[in-house]
Amino acid sequence: MPNQAHILVIDDEQIMREGCSRILSKDGLAVVTAENGKQGLEEIQGHPETIDVILLDLMMPGMSGMEVLDQIRAIDPNLLVIVITGYATVESAVEAMKKGAYDFIPKPFTPDQLRIVVKRALERRTLQKEAEFLRKEREKSLRDIATEKSKIKTIINCMGDGVLVCDRDSCIVLSNPAASRMLKVHESSLIGNFLPQCNLHTELSNLIQESLTTKDKGYTSVSQELSMGDSGEIFLRAHTAPVRNDLGETLGSVTVLQDISHLKELDKMKSEFIAMVAHELRAPLAAVEQQLTVILNKMAGEITEKQEQLLGRAKERTKGLLTLIKDLLDLSKIEAGMMVQYKEPLRLQEVVQKVVDLMRAEAEAKKLDLQFTAPHTLPLINADRNSMEGIFTNLISNAIKYTPEGGKVWVDLVEEGEFVKATVSDTGIGIKKEDLPRIFDKFYRVKTVETRQIVGTGLGLSIVKSVVDAHLGFISVESEEGGGTTFTVLLPKGPIQTA
Amino acid sequence: MAKKILIVDDDPDLVEAVTMILESKKYDVAAAYGGIEGLQKAKTENPDLIVLDVMMPDKDGYAVCKELKADPKLSQIPVLLLTAVVSKIATTRYTQQGGLETEADDYIDKPVEPEVLVKRIETLLAK
Repeated sequence: MPNQAHILVIDDEQIMREGCSRILSKDGLAVVTAENGKQGLEEIQGHPETIDVILLDLMMPGMSGMEVLDQIRAIDPNLLVIVITGYATVESAVEAMKKGAYDFIPKPFTPDQLRIVVKRALERRTLQKEAEFLRKEREKSLRDIATEKSKIKTIINCMGDGVLVCDRDSCIVLSNPAASRMLKVHESSLIGNFLPQCNLHTELSNLIQESLTTKDKGYTSVSQELSMGDSGEIFLRAHTAPVRNDLGETLGSVTVLQDISHLKELDKMKSEFIAMVAHELRAPLAAVEQQLTVILNKMAGEITEKQEQLLGRAKERTKGLLTLIKDLLDLSKIEAGMMVQYKEPLRLQEVVQKVVDLMRAEAEAKKLDLQFTAPHTLPLINADRNSMEGIFTNLISNAIKYTPEGGKVWVDLVEEGEFVKATVSDTGIGIKKEDLPRIFDKFYRVKTVETRQIVGTGLGLSIVKSVVDAHLGFISVESEEGGGTTFTVLLPKGPIQTA
Repeated sequence: MAKKILIVDDDPDLVEAVTMILESKKYDVAAAYGGIEGLQKAKTENPDLIVLDVMMPDKDGYAVCKELKADPKLSQIPVLLLTAVVSKIATTRYTQQGGLETEADDYIDKPVEPEVLVKRIETLLAK
């Protein structure tokens, strides 16, 4: 019985020892006896944890009960001692209690009296054990928390990325060495200071401030590139996210900083490389096409009809290659995020009008009816003018390409919710259902008898989609084979939040 | 008297092709095969118009154009920039970035259709 309580009886009278043993054993208690103080103390020293309650006779030959009591208290002050007073004197009982005995029982006593006193002491003992257990648990949890805390602190401090944590009052409550290093601010002037006093990069301060103050529930995180250093040679990417409670209240924000200088450097090299390759490819092709043009225009003498036909086809092919190179160049620029850097408030109707005017000659050559409608007033959008010209040139020129003579192409702008909606529709050959999901893929071209004669690179629409994505807009297409096509572009009303 | 046009391009094949286009329209044509030579010929040949390539190894078209426009004797000569690597998007990009680039009087993408080239040249000469 592992939970069996142990009682030690220390008494010089054998009858007392046996009596107590008999009574208490009946109640399922384990009883150990000692006939004098010395023996009793040995018993306790042997295994102090297993003894729950000690019954101690005060009047013993040799070592007195009081002395034994003192020594028991010295071994373990938590041991519960019930003193047995032979000649019921209140004084000795009081003295024993003062010395730390838990209770006393005067001789002679009845078995029930003994049971009551021991039972009370055992209850006390149980409580004591529980309290001890809880105390140990608490200590252990505190130790665990301390370990966990120092673990997290070590991890944060060892991170290569900078970390800044702000509370809701925009006071910095945590930062790591990487953040100090990147921001070139000493840790002591970060932690415990309010944002405006930290002398941080203005854009970074604004970014954090914005994440703390925004009421927009959809605002989850923002990434921004910051140019640091005296000559702007260091680039950081700051990623800031507000921390919210269950009620959606902002409690603070966490900002992670990454040094992206080397990425920027690579990016620049990549762009330069692409520009170089593109030039090396384009220049000879441009020369070849120019030469073909001269021959085809009969500026180098007369040519036969067959020669003209062949050279004309050759010129078409070089044109296609030049367009491919241009598209690849545009695409790599978009992917490098260079294409839509110049966002400004734009009147989309002006941009589209310009494109429509440019395309009119092409449409008229195919006897197509090209129409453009837009309301007098339309909200501004925040967009890159050239990219917008690019996407509408692409969509309208596609519509013209894929619409047979005598058809119709119409462009329409309207305001719709948070967006300006543009639709480019035609009465052209349409797109097969199975081709629809893939038309925004790179290098995907619909192959049919009708499209075989049409020059294209298969990059146009993927560029259009990339540009629309970069403006946080949406593009969709509806089409029926032989029943015309409608492209719908949704562009958010400006000003756009960077996200 | 026929108007004289100076073509500046490091690609001899392109120079030849453009020369043939212009000669067929009865223009006098002078050629230079680099930016530095172009600047010299702008002074010695006394052209009525300059067709100028952008990407040249020794001195690019923008720099040549800037020097031409800074020289009081040459600044009146119209300059038509011929751009191959810079697509339309990039051309406007350059104008947004620097300011110096707007000094050219017109841009044209190469390769160029003969009638488009001739029309642009006529427009510039009529000014």
